[in-house]
Amino acid sequence: MKKIPIQLLALVVLFFGSWFVLKQVDWVTVLKVKQKTKKTEEKLGDFFWDMIKKSEKESTSSFTITAVNKLKISICKSNNIDSSKIKIHIIEKDEINAFALPNNHLVIFTGLIEACEEEAELSGIIGHEIAHMEKNHLMKKLVNEVGLTALISITTGNTNSELIKSILKILTSSSYSRKLETEADLTAVDYLIKAKISPEPLANFMFRLAQSTNTIPTQFYWISTHPDSEERAKTIIDALKNKSIINVPVLKKENWDLMKKDLKKD
Amino acid sequence: MITTQNFPYIPGEHEAEKASSSYLMSLIAFIAGLPLPIINLFATIIFYFGNRKGTYFVRWHCTQALLSQLSVLFMNSAAFWWTISIIFRDETITSNYLAYMMTVIVFNLAEFIATIYTAIKTRKGIHVEWFFYGGLTHLLCKP
Repeated sequence: MKKIPIQLLALVVLFFGSWFVLKQVDWVTVLKVKQKTKKTEEKLGDFFWDMIKKSEKESTSSFTITAVNKLKISICKSNNIDSSKIKIHIIEKDEINAFALPNNHLVIFTGLIEACEEEAELSGIIGHEIAHMEKNHLMKKLVNEVGLTALISITTGNTNSELIKSILKILTSSSYSRKLETEADLTAVDYLIKAKISPEPLANFMFRLAQSTNTIPTQFYWISTHPDSEERAKTIIDALKNKSIINVPVLKKENWDLMKKDLKKD
Repeated sequence: MITTQNFPYIPGEHEAEKASSSYLMSLIAFIAGLPLPIINLFATIIFYFGNRKGTYFVRWHCTQALLSQLSVLFMNSAAFWWTISIIFRDETITSNYLAYMMTVIVFNLAEFIATIYTAIKTRKGIHVEWFFYGGLTHLLCKP
């Protein structure tokens, strides 16, 4: 009977010992886990961007493309993010919407740019979407809502139109869980502060559009799919307490105005 | 890890069949291909309670099968919930996780082979005792 505790100890040591020994190998590199995940993400992102590109019209306004890219570079540079990996696509559409696709595609509708009263608001939205990309929220949301098997099947040629439609709806609606939204908001606040852009206009944008949704609900897509906007705006304001905020414009005033004028022309 | 021992008496044909089935119960989830580790334990518990008034040989093997399932349950539950948290929450696939999964697979495989081996032996009326579980079963199961 005395043998039993020793035998138990031997089994426990064997289990944890095996785990410890196996842990010494860098399995993530050996099994190429990251490369495989990246490949799936790349295929999914490119697949869905191609679909959007076919059905929507991409903006050719050089003022807008240059201005938005400048804002993106400013945020990325200050936060050690490789800006070249983030591919911005501007779509000519009145909807106030912006969303991220897998493989760092960031789609912004001209309606959203027009709704921004100042460049810091647009920077805030770009920062928020970059935060979703950097925190890998997108793939988590897709796996959660569609399932990993369905996602992999798309990358291997599954052309089930219903499945593709439902994934596209999830992607363009850009509705994440409250927890992920808050994380993206607070990460965006950090990005903006480091880039010397005030995050306050992002909160103002949320307040303003949350109040407007009562009158024109379908238009304000970015806000209507981002629930509890007022509370989120308050969280942003709270996060700014006791922080010294500097706001250094990235664009020249005349360039911002030129871009807005160019958008109105379309 | 597994030893063939003499049992206090020679079990009958019917006893050997029931004792062997207690091990087969613990393989139900493997056969069904279900990822939920609790299924195995439930099947073994149901069989255990169905036979707790059986003969000593049957009770002894039902107990050994149940005890072995309990330890596998803890190991597999951790693997199951770790995987769920990677898929649905903020966890990521790490070398630590992969090492744990490999360890669990090796231990499950060993348990699977031992279970089949014991089921075959007990079906023939041969008494088989497992390392640690055999001793523990002797403590819990009296003639």
